[in-house]
Amino acid sequence: MHTLSQDEKRFLERKALAARKNVLRLITAGKSGHVGGALSIIDTITALYFKIMKVDPQNPKAENRDRFVLSAGHKCLAIYSVLAEAGFFEKELLDTYGQLDSKLPGHPDMHKIPGLESNTGALGHGLSISVGMAMGLAMNQQEDIPKVYVAMGDGELAEGSNWEAAAAASHHKLDNLIVFADRNGLQISGNTVDVMTYEPLEDRWSAFGWAVRVIDGHDMNAIVETATSMPFEKGKPSCVILNTIKSKGLSFAEGDPAYHYWKATPEQLAIAEKDLAAIEARLAS
Amino acid sequence: MTDLRDPRKTFGAALVEVGEKNNRVVALSADSSSGSGMSPFHERFPERHFEFGIMEQGIVGISAGMASTGKIPFFVAIAPFVTSRPFEMVRNDLGYMRQNVKVVGRCAGMTYSDLGATHQSLEDIAIIRTIPGFTVVNPGCPVEINKAVHAITDHIGPVYMKLGGPKMPVLFDEDYVFELGKGVTMKEGNDVTLVGTGTVLSKAYEAAEILERQGISVRLINIHTIKPLDKELLIKAASETGAIVTVEEHYIAGGLGSAIAETLAEVCPVRMKMIGVDDQFASNGPYEELLALYGLQADQIAETVKVFLA
Repeated sequence: MHTLSQDEKRFLERKALAARKNVLRLITAGKSGHVGGALSIIDTITALYFKIMKVDPQNPKAENRDRFVLSAGHKCLAIYSVLAEAGFFEKELLDTYGQLDSKLPGHPDMHKIPGLESNTGALGHGLSISVGMAMGLAMNQQEDIPKVYVAMGDGELAEGSNWEAAAAASHHKLDNLIVFADRNGLQISGNTVDVMTYEPLEDRWSAFGWAVRVIDGHDMNAIVETATSMPFEKGKPSCVILNTIKSKGLSFAEGDPAYHYWKATPEQLAIAEKDLAAIEARLAS
Repeated sequence: MTDLRDPRKTFGAALVEVGEKNNRVVALSADSSSGSGMSPFHERFPERHFEFGIMEQGIVGISAGMASTGKIPFFVAIAPFVTSRPFEMVRNDLGYMRQNVKVVGRCAGMTYSDLGATHQSLEDIAIIRTIPGFTVVNPGCPVEINKAVHAITDHIGPVYMKLGGPKMPVLFDEDYVFELGKGVTMKEGNDVTLVGTGTVLSKAYEAAEILERQGISVRLINIHTIKPLDKELLIKAASETGAIVTVEEHYIAGGLGSAIAETLAEVCPVRMKMIGVDDQFASNGPYEELLALYGLQADQIAETVKVFLA
């Protein structure tokens, strides 16, 4: 387990802010996108790429790298923003979002930019793919086995295929696999538990043979301490339920399902920039 | 054609052969190992054989993830459960992600003749061949199954291979050269081209012999790879014989005949007749009788060709 120093914590919070600014840059270019979920998971993805995972932007295909799979592929604004911030590609690419043949489609394509491990967007695929990765990596080497990190949406958990993969992961004792279940509580139609309940979520994952922890998904200390404690139990896959706020950081959109997919107006973009400037001022103090 | 061999056992033996040659080959099972001929692989390479139970959607994604780490997964189960059931996973996780996975649908077509439509697979070629980058293979004899397993292991990219269930006659010598994407002219002829694939290639072969005895000169072509299709060979046959008859244990919609028609309609339109199952769920009963119900026995194929040419 790694506990962050104050400097490390502040560093990650600044990186997360920079990533949120990249999200705004993408939306400014493309005029619209799945911003709500991107901003609920972006702190975790920032922590993964800047503190937790063994990855190298200069050698993105290194054989012994850790893998990250964004199962809820519609949250790709977050992974694009973090990959750009980490130097996997030039930030100018962010300005092509929404253009014909952009390397940054509305759902990610691993063949278009370095650093992506899978093509997601259709829900209920990422965990199965990650189970296969975790098994393959464990076959390739006996020690220092790379880890597989998966981010899933809570609405996505209604897809039955996830639970096939969840069963397979515990049956095959994949303790190099960790799921971040982004419990922001909202999906397009409203409250996720009203659309199709997934509660009791901890019990569900536990019943499938996973070791489960619940944390605040916007607390860098909690994210890093938890992720660096994996496996939570030897021989079991780990699940972190992230309690998060959809559209976190945008004052007018937080917790509003209408911003699952945001068609941005110039006025809203101006407010969003002020919101992020306020966060920046707070981090500078 | 008295040498009959079990396609699943043939496949299983070939899988052990490629497993010996290449330690990246792994086998994935959906409670389908023994029925798919994978028991010898399990006995020889227990550490490379993985059982998941009945979760075909999950296994397709899992195979994609394994392939991304350098493995060559063979996922083998009853044909409809590796094609139509997990189609979106096959499309996205294997096709769109371009993963080096070999999906093998066994007991395809009407093999499960007694069980009825749920376990039959008459649309697998149609749906899988729509996926960009996929190779679709339908071997027509046990020797070809063995050689196809070696070829698809060496080929980098997603593959669907279709296998029947009942024993198949040997049509080729052991020194037969198999090349993915290359059709095979089994008999020369000028009056009509008969194109067969997979489980009913032997029926087309017998039909060609019947027709020859009746004075009709039949060119017989084996298309073991539906995608990519050997367009050159088929265009040449169409232009030289002026008539094409296709034979497949598959729906007429989207299968071998459709694939050939898509090519010929643009560059060399000739009269065509497609023999297969028309727009209906196939019935149930003894396998050979079911083939006869849809005109897929040799004498029926010969008669259809004669009527077509008349």
